[in-house]
Amino acid sequence: MSSEIPITVGVLALQGAFNEHIQLLREAAQTISLRETESKRKWKFTFSEIRNKNELATCDALIIPGGESTAISLVAERCGMLEPLREFVKVSRNPTWGTCAGLILLAESANTSSTKLGGQSLIGGLDVRVNRNHFGRQTESFQANLFLPFLSPTNSTEKSEESSSKEIKQKPFRAIFIRAPIVEKVLSPVQGIQAQEASKENIIVAPSKEMTPEIASRFTVEEVEVLGRLDRGKEGEDEGEIIAVRQGNCFGTSFHPELTGDERIHVWWLEGVVRDVVGRRGL
Amino acid sequence: MLNDTSKMATELPTRSTNGDRTPLNAAGEENFTVKTGLARMLKGGVIMDVVNAEQARIAEEAGAVAVMALERVPADIRAEGGVSRMSDPKMIREIMKTVTIPVMAKARIGHFVECQILEAIGVDYIDESEVLTPADALYHVEKHPFSVPFVCGCRNLGEALRRISEGAAMIRTKGEAGTGDVIEAVRHMRTVNSEIAHASKMSDTELRVLAKDIQAPFELLRETARLGRLPVVNFAAGGVATPADAALMMQLGCDGVFVGSGIFKSGDASKRAKAIVQAVTHYNDPKVLAEVSEDLGEAMVGLNVSVMDAKDKMQGRGW
Repeated sequence: MSSEIPITVGVLALQGAFNEHIQLLREAAQTISLRETESKRKWKFTFSEIRNKNELATCDALIIPGGESTAISLVAERCGMLEPLREFVKVSRNPTWGTCAGLILLAESANTSSTKLGGQSLIGGLDVRVNRNHFGRQTESFQANLFLPFLSPTNSTEKSEESSSKEIKQKPFRAIFIRAPIVEKVLSPVQGIQAQEASKENIIVAPSKEMTPEIASRFTVEEVEVLGRLDRGKEGEDEGEIIAVRQGNCFGTSFHPELTGDERIHVWWLEGVVRDVVGRRGL
Repeated sequence: MLNDTSKMATELPTRSTNGDRTPLNAAGEENFTVKTGLARMLKGGVIMDVVNAEQARIAEEAGAVAVMALERVPADIRAEGGVSRMSDPKMIREIMKTVTIPVMAKARIGHFVECQILEAIGVDYIDESEVLTPADALYHVEKHPFSVPFVCGCRNLGEALRRISEGAAMIRTKGEAGTGDVIEAVRHMRTVNSEIAHASKMSDTELRVLAKDIQAPFELLRETARLGRLPVVNFAAGGVATPADAALMMQLGCDGVFVGSGIFKSGDASKRAKAIVQAVTHYNDPKVLAEVSEDLGEAMVGLNVSVMDAKDKMQGRGW
């Protein structure tokens, strides 16, 4: 007999496609629970919409959804959520995933030269510089098939039975890019704010947040990993744009896995959340 | 075990076809999923009518998720009369240059050339709108062939489904624009809700008859009945003037709110705009609603729809 271990995952619900993430998280949780019928541990997932800091305080992990990044950051600022979010991401180092607008908010630096500065503030957490609306306006929005190596069973830290016997060819991930940002530069982790970035024109940076020594002792400073690129087979481009990155507990995608009905990335991320919870609670 | 407390009645499933009858993930990259995707990104947000770049900036700084660029807000169209048309492309471009959020623009009902022009400028959404003078007495624009997504108004379920079948990727209530009286938006939202509730209890056989009665395509009606909501994002519009109005429409099941004359025809536009944005996020939290409703200054004067002549109402345009 084993009791169920509660895990609460929040989706920031200030504006945008938050409900779509909750739907995909529910599907991902089902997939995980089917896989884990053999194991002794059972997770009791709760997926909640987060609109204030009391709700945020109940979360083990958070998704910042797609939406309008300026609207989300302005609403967050005015209802006193920006600082609690920075604490959640950069001080407590809770697992956080940003999609599209969420990726912009999680970036330490944003290029505002091609656009205009409209009250955008950043939470930070990912040492990258993003470029908003990189591909242009809505008429330039598109879908593309991505190959995401981190979804391959052979690369997974938790190997499934099939992967040991034969290499599985990955089904491409159909990704939807809507007025999407990209990571235009991967930055080196620094103490404090990205000062070099801040000195440049048309660049905004996130304020820094120091970890408490107790938390810092548990986390090493990690470099940004590029987890996915957009290869549209254009001539003259050796590598595609960076569209998925991870740094420690922070994960960002410039596309919208919550619009596809393909829960693979949600499963992968939720498994990471489970590992983090196990580590934090010493389970 | 799953805890499903967060499931809302108005959830729009990610696997729904969004009412699209073209094959899922069709070869073309500009397909319906991308069009409805932007509408999903606007959910829980406020789209504001603006007539120049300065207002567009105020709207963006207030936290609008998009702006609707038009030459005159509905209250002025109402007051000044005459034929109301698509806005000057130059003015729309200026607004597009000023803000980073999506820019929408209105075309007259049935005026597909205005739509072509708006597409050529590169606006992010086209509103085929009854607020402008209709250009065609019979036909609405065929919207699927455009790469720009469309939003259209409705008063009832049949009208909504006809627009979706023509290619609208987003629906809004018609309400009664330019009045500051929310009664018509409420009427239209309640009508759609009760028609869907009714349809969702029906068998396919009964739905075929209902489809005929409300002049809606059967397949779309069946999908709507199964989902228990419209298969695309649905915003409130037409008469929203206060944070309480906006939250009312959200509690009735709208996915977001358009505010037209309500903001820039009021005393302190910036403050009211910010308050309505907060009200749409925190629509279920009366304490927040009370805070943001405080001291907003003069609301737009408003016209009482119940004493208006039928000929003065814009909602009867389109069919």
